[in-house]
Parts: sequence; C-alpha cells; structure tokens
Amino acid sequence: MKNPYFPLPVRIENVLVETEDKNIKTFTLSFIHKEDKEQFRYRPGQFAELTVFGKGEAPFGMASSPTQPGFLEFSISKVGVVTNALHQMSEGEILGIRGPFGNGYPLETFKGKNVVLIGGGFGFSTLRALTDYMIEGTNREEFKKITVIYGARRPGFLLYKSDLETWQNRSDIQVFLTVDQDDIGWHGKVGTVSVVAREVAPDAENTYALVCGPPAMIKYTLPVLKELGFPNERIFLSLEMRMKCGIGKCGRCNIGSKYVCQDGPVFSYAEILNLTSDDIF
Amino acid sequence: MDALINRIRGIAKDLLREGKVDVVIGFEEGTIPFHSRPCFVRSPDEADRLIWNSFCENNLATYVVKRNERMGIVAKGCDTRALLELIKERQVIRDQIYIIGVPCEGMIDRVRVEAELRNRSIQTVEVREGTFLIMGKDFEKELEIKEFLYPSCQVCTRKNPVIYDELVGEEVEESVGETYPDIESFEGLSDEKRWQYFSEEMSRCIRCYACRNACPLCYCTECFVDASNPQWIGKSIDESDTALFHIMRAFHLAGRCVECGACERACPLGIDIRKLNRKLSKDVLALFNYKAGISLDEVAPLATYRPDDSEAFILEP
Amino acid sequence: MKAKTIRKKDISGFLDRLIQAYRVYAPVMQNGYFLFKTIKSGSEASLNYHNTKMSPKDILFPQSEVLFRYQLDKPGVEIDMPAQDERNLVIFGIRPCDVRGIQALDNVFSKNPKDPYFEERRSKTVIVGLGCKETHNGCFCTTVGGGPCADDGSDLFLIDIGDEYLIRIISDKGEVLLKEEDLPDAETQKITAAAEVAEKAQEALRPCVEVQGSEDILTQRFNDPVWDVISEKCIGCGVCTYLCPTCHCFDICDEAVNKEGKGIRIWDSCQYPLFTRLASGLNPRDTVGKRMRQRIMHKFVYFPDEQGMLGCTGCGRCVIECPVNLDIREVLNILLRTGAAR
Repeated sequence: MKNPYFPLPVRIENVLVETEDKNIKTFTLSFIHKEDKEQFRYRPGQFAELTVFGKGEAPFGMASSPTQPGFLEFSISKVGVVTNALHQMSEGEILGIRGPFGNGYPLETFKGKNVVLIGGGFGFSTLRALTDYMIEGTNREEFKKITVIYGARRPGFLLYKSDLETWQNRSDIQVFLTVDQDDIGWHGKVGTVSVVAREVAPDAENTYALVCGPPAMIKYTLPVLKELGFPNERIFLSLEMRMKCGIGKCGRCNIGSKYVCQDGPVFSYAEILNLTSDDIF
Repeated sequence: MDALINRIRGIAKDLLREGKVDVVIGFEEGTIPFHSRPCFVRSPDEADRLIWNSFCENNLATYVVKRNERMGIVAKGCDTRALLELIKERQVIRDQIYIIGVPCEGMIDRVRVEAELRNRSIQTVEVREGTFLIMGKDFEKELEIKEFLYPSCQVCTRKNPVIYDELVGEEVEESVGETYPDIESFEGLSDEKRWQYFSEEMSRCIRCYACRNACPLCYCTECFVDASNPQWIGKSIDESDTALFHIMRAFHLAGRCVECGACERACPLGIDIRKLNRKLSKDVLALFNYKAGISLDEVAPLATYRPDDSEAFILEP
Repeated sequence: MKAKTIRKKDISGFLDRLIQAYRVYAPVMQNGYFLFKTIKSGSEASLNYHNTKMSPKDILFPQSEVLFRYQLDKPGVEIDMPAQDERNLVIFGIRPCDVRGIQALDNVFSKNPKDPYFEERRSKTVIVGLGCKETHNGCFCTTVGGGPCADDGSDLFLIDIGDEYLIRIISDKGEVLLKEEDLPDAETQKITAAAEVAEKAQEALRPCVEVQGSEDILTQRFNDPVWDVISEKCIGCGVCTYLCPTCHCFDICDEAVNKEGKGIRIWDSCQYPLFTRLASGLNPRDTVGKRMRQRIMHKFVYFPDEQGMLGCTGCGRCVIECPVNLDIREVLNILLRTGAAR
C-alpha cells in the first residue's frame, strides 16, 4: 500500500528571488528518485505538501505547468516556521514532497471556451501554471481567447517576470499588468486588479473567469464579474484553508461537507455559496 | 441555602434592572447529577436560573478576561482570589466587575463519590445540612459532605471572599495559617519515589490542555505550547515533553496560582496536577513571604524585584 | 445466527488463552476509572463497568504515532516506517457506541487514499462487543440510531444474562476466536433471555431529541446567533473531542535532533482557537461559537453527508466529562426546536 504520509526526497535546483523585498522566492525542485518523478503526475491548480526536515510541512500550489517535465516550481512567501526555514535554504539541499493533492482546475470544462485569469500578488502562482499549460504547443488550440489580468502592489512585487514578458510577446494571449503604486520605469496600468478588470471588461459569453489572490482582491473583483454578466457557475476560485494531511483525513480543512484538500482547492463560486461555511474571505 | 439563592437572584435582578451590569455570571442547574455549571444572565427574568450549591466547582473568574461587558459575578473564595490576581495583572478593570461574594464550605468531589459507589448508576442527588443523599435505581446512600470535598477544598485557607462588592451569606470559619502538610510529607519521600510518582501521573496525560483552559490565570492568547517559532516543547505524549509542559506551566503560575483546583477537576484522567503548583506556592511563600490572591497591593514576586530577595540559589548552589 | 454461552467466571480463563495468540485489549480499572489496555492475564480485565474514560479509538488511532523516521546524513534522505506489531488484536468488551465509533473511523481512514497505519491494525482487529444491560447518565445512543445491544460492527457480541453471557457469533473472524473453546450452543431460552435484556435496555433509554431531519434545520440555522449563546460557557478545553470515539482530527509534527528526526501524528481538536489559523493570521473560526458550530455541524450534517452515518454515537463521554457541563443533547434540543436558546 502506498504510504501517503511519506515525503519523497527532492533537491533544490534553483532559488530565484521574485520580489523586491525578497519575501517571495521561487524554488525549482527535482526528484531524486526517477520512479517518484514518473509517478508524480499533476494538473494545474493542484498543490503539494513540502517538508523542511526538522521544521515541518506546509502546502503550496504548483507554480509550474506539468508540460514542463523534469522539475517542479513553487513560489514561497516567508511567513512562518517552515517558509522561513525554506528561505534560508540553497541549491543542492534536500526537501520532502507529498502530493499531488486537490482537484486542480477543471480543464475539460474550459475546452472550447474563453478563459480570463485574474490574479493578485502571491495568489498568481497556480494561475501561472495554468497559463503556461494552456499556451503550450497544441494545448493552445483547445482554448479560445485567453486573457490574463495580473496585479501586484508595486512593479517590484510582480512574480514570474520572464514568463510575463514571453506572454506579452505572443499574439495569442492578452496580458494586462497593473500595480497599485506606480514606479519609475513602469509602463503598465496603475490601479487595483478589480478596477482594471472592469476596465478590460472581458466578454462574459462562453467565458470562464478564474480569480486567485488575497481576500480583499477577491471581495472587490467578484462584483465586477457579476456586473459583466458572469454567472456564479463560471467563476472559479482557489480556496485557502489551513491544511495538513492533504488527503481528507486530519479534518483541518473541512468546510461544509467538503475538504479543501480533496474536493478543492478549486471551487466554482456557485459551489462556495452552497457550502454552509465560516467566513473564508 | 434557599435564602442564599434568593439573595443572589435578587442582587442579579437589581443589577440588571438598574443597568449597572450587562451580564451576571453565575451558576445554574446542570443536566446530570453532581454538576452545576456556569451561566450568563442578561435580563432580570433570567435571573431565576441562578443557583448556589455544593456542585458549583468551576472557577468563574476565567470568564472575565477579554470580555468587554460590565459584569456581575457570583464568586466563592477561590474565584475571588483569582479575580484579585487578574485585577493586579490588569486583565480586568476593578470597576468593570461587581463581585457577589459567597463564602464557601467546599465543593463535593463527584469522582470520589462515584468511586465510593463502585460505579453504580446515580439518578439523583439531594444536598442536606452537612450530608447529601444519593439515589440510584436500586439503592440509596447518604454521605457526609465533609468527607467528600475536593482535595483543593480540603486544604483551602481562604473560604471567604477576599474581595467583593456585596457579601451573600454568613462568613465561614477559616483554617488558620498557611501550611502545606501534604507537600511536606511528599518532600520527605526519596528522589526515586517522588520521580516515580510524577512519572506515573505524567504517563496518563493526553495533552488535551483542559487544565490550562480551566485555569483563570492561564489567559495567554498564544500559549507557549502552541508557539512554533521557536518551538519550546514537542506536542506529542512523549514523556519528557509532557513532563516539561506541566513543569513549565507550573513555573508560569508560580506566585500567581490561587490553588483553586480547577485544573485537576477539568482533567479527564484525574492527574494530580495541583501538587506542582502547591509546591511552588510553598516555595514562593518561603522565599518571598507572599501568597497569591490575598492582597491587591502586593505585587507578585516574580513580576518584580526587591533588593532583599533571597539569593541563596546563586550563592549556595 | 449462531450463538454460544459462556459462564462469567470462565471469561478470565478464555482471555488467558486468547492472550497466547493475540494482543488483547480489555477494560482495566486504574486510578478509579476504566481504560482499554493490553492485558497480560485475564484477571486484569473487568466487564463490570459502564464505559471507559477514553474511547478505545486510541487502539487503532493512537494519540501520538511516529509516521516515519529520517536520516539526513546521506546525499538525499533516508525515510522509513517504524516496525508495527505483527500480532492480531482483539478489542474485548467494547460497547456498541464505541463499535460505532470504529465504523466511523473506518469511513475516514479506509477511504482512498488508505491510511496504512490504521489499515494495518484494523485488518488485524477482532471486535468482541459487550451489550449494555443498563445505561448511565450521559448515554443517548438510541437518539442517534444506535442501541445498548446493537451488535452490528462486532465480530462476537456478549449479552449479560445473569451468571453467563450469551455470545452472538456475528462473523467468521469472531467464530475463529471460539474455535479452541468448548462452549455449549446457546439454548433457546437463553437466546430469548438475551433478547429480553436487549429490548429492556433499549426501551429504558428513550431518545431525547428527534434527529431525523436535523441536517436541514441545522443548515438553516447556520447563521443564527444562538450558537454564541449556547457556547458562551465553553472554555475550549478540547476534552469532548479527545474522548469522542468518532473525532479524528490530527496534526503532523516534525521533530528532529541534528540529522535524525521523525514525523509524528498527534491528536488535534477543532475546539482549539488556533486550529484553523492561517499563516497570514486570518482565522475563519475565531470565536467559540463558530468552533462549537463546526463540531455540531460536522457530526450531524457534514459527516452524514460525506459518509452516510452520523458522526455521533451517543456514548455520552462529552456530556459527563465536560468541565462546564455543555450537554450536546441539550444543544441539539435547543437547535432542533424552533424556539430561541435559553
């Protein structure tokens, strides 16, 4: 019987400081054992539990697309015990990984439709994985119009700058970047994500909207989507609850009759409204 | 007892009617025999829920911390001692509470009663003058209250409220002097015996933290056990982590614990938690001539420094 | 159904023989109360008890359990699982409410992906249930669809008929335990006597609240301020969850000294304030009322929704042991009737 609690060993191949305050770093990890790598098949939107041996485990959304085999990327914000320890680590060091967990984005549902990805700050990680997935090779043909609206506090807080540049240079994907606070050398929009979303006004017909970001951003973006005519079934969010085991047993992420680690973290807004639940935004 | 209860209800009604308090915290009838339980009364007609009997074992002082309401509180000896310490530690403002002091003759130890009855099913309990009558399906037994008091009540030296706005009932006779015969006899045992006793008690602990939560003086929003950065102790039932939890908690309470016994009453496994606290209280008394829960003017010795503090521990290792 | 009888005074000998081949857990009196412990001789066990202080869930789901050990001194990391006890185990004299509890845990831990630690032990477990002749103050199994002599989930089931127990043989696993014993088949009158004991005990424990339809009512009352009123006296001690036979929340910790360490699973409780606190500091359940609501909703709405059975077995431990006598039966009564809370 496979033991879902055993962390699989991974090596840190690269550490990239993403933000100007150095509080978010993207770690590139590779599996030490080939068979582990082969078994770890995931979809964008899923997450994994990373173990820092001696400190503990924490859940992180996969920030890289499964179409880029051989490595996994995670963007880590320095907030607690595990993430602080992780930020002290460098190339060559060993971590553990368990996963993939969660339901991931419903790719089948998006096929043949337009997709609008709206991300704020650190919440953009899994949306980046999804975007890279959708535009990769023949995948691109499966989806119609792809629009990305991504914002951060300041230009220095935008993640994945090289990806953003690559996307902006393509003609088959529309990218709108915005910051709350302007800065020298910034030529993109200035304004909150929700304001820019209203400005961009993506057409709601045959379109799915994915929103991922801090609670405040979600709170202000949802009304904009409603105004634009998006029904609750076509708005998807990634819920954040404290998670531990990742396999629906420890009870921590229980929300209504669901477990965020198994039935989520991706839920449609319609599903979320149906869940009798505590305040999660 | 009835006159006392009527007085308590009367005071509560007046306080609420006159708008002097937003809530009166007291005791009400429980759902099973031997249990009275905390209740929160917010209107004069609800005041008839309030009771007073030999099962009012909870320390209600735990409810005044971080509560923004003006409160009336029915408080027995140990409850008032805890309130006094909380006032000194600025966890509650004196003017925020109206203390209805009730002299206490001790609470009945239901665990020992159940053991005495060899676990036969109890249906009702009736408390009388000095005795209580237990009725089961096919038996009846009358026991002396004095013989079945909680261990904390048996050694209580402040049965009368030490601070109050109004006193209900007659003051009771106090035992004289601050003595710790139980601790002294335990201290007389050998190292091995004492360690064996302590280890056995600790081996039962399931780290539920009921002791900490029942304690009125344990009010930290983040307890040291929950701290992860740094992590002070492990969270599993590993014996040394468990022992360390109890030892550290006892030290955090040294000079602050009022020996009410709420900790050991809350413990589902009947662990002798109070012994460590009693030992530290005894030491604080000897070293600093101070006992918690007595005076509003004395600062707790571990929260202050006096030039004449004992330095024996440094000079005579 | 096949049934045998065994004299009460022969139980001790029977246990002595079982101990040869199995790890036997039975109720043992210690420090004035009963707990399930492994016994080294039949005389340690006592079936003359209401119920154990802690539920026997810790036999299959221990309070603390090392999930894996690791060494960091090689390139990479070496991880292994601690050795498990090879022998089969018998839980002897467990009450129907606690058997129900094990069934609830089965639903959680045996669901995919299976929990190998629980499965390892569960697959080797034989359950010898003990029917209740009389119930105690906190009991309410009949309210939640159980009964003092409900034998489903047990492999063998004992009913007290005076000087003897009737043993109902429920499964093959159970029958194996009796193979070496030369026990007489139960005579008809004894089977009848046992049925009468069961019926009498069931009759005596009237349901205290109507739980049918509770899912809808509780869901409707989700945002009702009554939850804060009900839970005002709760001190968040967690005793209810620790003693509950169906509560299964846990935490995973990592403890290391230098290059060696272990991942440990320990019990946790939704009643603790920090249970749902996120790293950002946001806490969806930041009040006692919300945490109490979660407990009740989980037991009576979410768990039945996910697993098809109530998450409460009516054992009454939370009623008896709650330091402030927050009685779940009373809570249900208040919530399921449309009147306001006290």
